[in-house]
Amino acid sequence: METREAALVGIGRTPFSTSSGRTPLAMAAEAARAALHDAGLQPNEVDGVIDFHTNDSASAVDVARAIGAFDLGLAMDVHGGGNVAVTVVGQAFAAVQAGICEVAVVFRSLQGRSGNRYGRGERPALPMRGEMQFAALNGFVVPPMWIAMFAQRHKHVYGTRDEDFGYIAITTRKHAAANPHAMQRQLIDMDDYLSARWICEPFRLYDCCLETDGAVALVVTTLERARSLRHDPIRIVGFGEAHTHGGSWTNFTDMSEMYSAYASKRLWASTGLRPSDMDVACMYDCFTGTVMATVEDFGLCPKGEAGTFFGEGRASYGGDVVVNPHGGLLSEGYLHGLNHHYEAVLQLRGDAGGRQVPDARHALVTAGAGPAGGALIYEASR
Amino acid sequence: MNRTGPVPAPPAPLIDTDSAGFWEATREGRIALCRCSDCGAWLARPLERCSSCGGPTSFTDVTGTGTVYSFIVVHHASVPAFAALVPYVLALVEFDEGPRLPGMLLDEQGPGVAIGQRVSAELTQFTGAEERAVVYRRVNDVEQPSVPDA
Repeated sequence: METREAALVGIGRTPFSTSSGRTPLAMAAEAARAALHDAGLQPNEVDGVIDFHTNDSASAVDVARAIGAFDLGLAMDVHGGGNVAVTVVGQAFAAVQAGICEVAVVFRSLQGRSGNRYGRGERPALPMRGEMQFAALNGFVVPPMWIAMFAQRHKHVYGTRDEDFGYIAITTRKHAAANPHAMQRQLIDMDDYLSARWICEPFRLYDCCLETDGAVALVVTTLERARSLRHDPIRIVGFGEAHTHGGSWTNFTDMSEMYSAYASKRLWASTGLRPSDMDVACMYDCFTGTVMATVEDFGLCPKGEAGTFFGEGRASYGGDVVVNPHGGLLSEGYLHGLNHHYEAVLQLRGDAGGRQVPDARHALVTAGAGPAGGALIYEASR
Repeated sequence: MNRTGPVPAPPAPLIDTDSAGFWEATREGRIALCRCSDCGAWLARPLERCSSCGGPTSFTDVTGTGTVYSFIVVHHASVPAFAALVPYVLALVEFDEGPRLPGMLLDEQGPGVAIGQRVSAELTQFTGAEERAVVYRRVNDVEQPSVPDA
């Protein structure tokens, strides 16, 4: 098969809420239709669907049928969380490039607040398998615990202060205030941050993202086709993932860093660009501690200096790079990182309204926390 | 949350063929981790064959002492089984043999706990659990365990 270039041409989403009253299937279909409409494509032109899920969503074939696409050349349900929110986009590009499909829809849809909540640790119906069998009995089973364990290590190694985490939460919320789609837009200051209740030390309330109901979808097709569609095509010009240590949350070698210490090498080796070329960085932010480790690992600032980086405004408008202009998972909503891709595209099209990053040309999007994840760089064609 | 009702059980482990030796040991009151019979490597994740050399593995008793690699103080009762215990400390302990296992640091609420703290592992059966869990105490809280001959 002859390879060809691919491009991201459409974005769609539902409202984000705490109680959608809708199935993941219904929300995924809405987001997919919206993304196809945005692209200027018809639903029956879709011949590839890729999604990710943790047994909490709708399948690729179910969503395809729901929008009237009956015959897929590619149907892929990837089991995973934020760690695969770059994987699915990379695979959609690769599939189009290889000729496996012509029009691919990528989606994530979940009832993250009204349905299966990630922040709850009730005894699951099924016993916990794999490495989690050794965490189950002590209840070391919810993500804030795992990431807080990494954050504590960062504090130990770099002398990181509580305020350093606070700067990330405050900056992110400030950005969300200009985003009508964000779930939380009320500004917070350091007093608010420090006086909020503990969740699990070193994390307080504002260190944690927002469990959310909703769906996001993206459309990928060939660059040739993209040139005749509604928007200027968005290309991927850098890519690197790292799925390390068997996915272990407990035996990752150096927990003051994350997967990003490994993925960073692949990412920057894949491109002529450098961290200083990034205008926007949509950093996966399930918790502030994830942003702290990953902005450092990906080289946006030196190791151990993320707090200062945010505190001095270098991660906001007028600084080095605007990190999470939409407010991220912390303030826009936990769409498991696919909303970061949506925001990157808005910014690179110049369609981000009151939160537009001036002359945004390159956007870094990261996905995942702890042992596994990845990153890619989108480039605007304008 | 109804604190007067029965205490819910914690999540349960799915014991598989590779890990059965670990759980059999806990039922006998021992902590045994997976180790390669050929190269001697300790495996954090029990495996049928060694991830370093492919050799056969077995479960070998550990000294039961280790160091706090990291820890968290749980305030929000995410896990209903332990809602009555908040705040409590979950420690990620690096056994002297190398592998890390998470577990509760008993009778601690956070103050005074630090990375590098020496701990001793023991087994406890939480209410409603079918298996015994690995938990820890600060070594200065218990009699210093004797060091076996090398």
